Amino acid sequence: QGHEFRFGPCRVEGVALPSLWEAFRSLKDTVQAQDNITSIRLLRREVLQNVSDTESCHLIHDLLKFYLNTVFKNYHHKIAESNMLPSFSTLANNFVFIVSKLQPSQKNEMLSVSDRARRRFLMFKRAFKQLEIEAALTKAFGEVDILLTWMGRFY
Amino acid sequence: HMAEDSPELLQHVKFQSSNFENILTWDGKPESIPGTVYSVEYKMYGEPEWLAKVGCQQITQKSCNLTMETGNLTELYYARVTAISSGGWSATKMTERFNSLQHTTIKPPDVTCVPQVRSIQMIVHPTPTPVHTTDGHQLTLEEIFQDLFYRLELHVNHTYQMHLGGKQREFEFSGLTPDTEFLGSIVISVPTWSKESAPYVCRVKTLPDRTWT
Repeated sequence: QGHEFRFGPCRVEGVALPSLWEAFRSLKDTVQAQDNITSIRLLRREVLQNVSDTESCHLIHDLLKFYLNTVFKNYHHKIAESNMLPSFSTLANNFVFIVSKLQPSQKNEMLSVSDRARRRFLMFKRAFKQLEIEAALTKAFGEVDILLTWMGRFY
Repeated sequence: HMAEDSPELLQHVKFQSSNFENILTWDGKPESIPGTVYSVEYKMYGEPEWLAKVGCQQITQKSCNLTMETGNLTELYYARVTAISSGGWSATKMTERFNSLQHTTIKPPDVTCVPQVRSIQMIVHPTPTPVHTTDGHQLTLEEIFQDLFYRLELHVNHTYQMHLGGKQREFEFSGLTPDTEFLGSIVISVPTWSKESAPYVCRVKTLPDRTWT
């Protein structure tokens, strides 16, 4: 089966989704057990539901960049403490690769599409900022399965 | 009278899911405390309230079917059990975050093996699940997992097997010796989710060749 994501016009080849799942599965129970705020979900339905193909490239670009620059970067020390680095690196490296391949269109007629995607991303980011930083990092990292499930629709 | 906490009253609270049938199970310990009753609650991850599971309040058995309550494939859930012993001890324990798409295991497929003189047909029947679309259509495993396919193997003898595979439901192993017994095994595979069922096995004998040579 070809390993290819198609986020609307953006195509990313060479990433095997099952290997991302395998990496996250080995971290999941440990990380999610540290998130005891069961009444808040960052990647809510309103962020990910009914995303059009053309929006998807903009949204995944924003989300993955946030995960790399904020979540992974600041959660790294916790992962290192509980020796889950290999799986963590697999996720991070694949996210870096995917972001490097995404070129969301900047054309004028796409402004409304990117605006919609931007609003979805900001909904997620606001929810993240409303939590204490350590809790937010743990929750966001624990929701990578929600992100991978959504990405699976474009695989 | 407030029940006093006794954590060892309740252990291993978890979901057991196969083909999207989601059963909550737990262990009671020590077994010797008779009269312990259990009450189950569940909720969607991200929602504030816990909901009582009707039919699983103050029960004595150690399992509860939450298939209907946890059936949305894109949602994640928690469940928790509260145990209260006749001596006034209590314990509450919660599951890990659960999503049936991620956690369900796949049961062996339902297959009909049909022997001919020099071939064996294998017909895989679709696997219904308890998952329904919003308009009430009952989904099969094949409809839920887009990349689901079948892997078939026919053991001809100790050293030689034949292999077939694909998404279609009808397969035929041909070029076989008449009046000979074969062992067929069929598994369901879902690569994207790294899921694979245990095999369905059929032992079948090709028909005798009655044509005059």
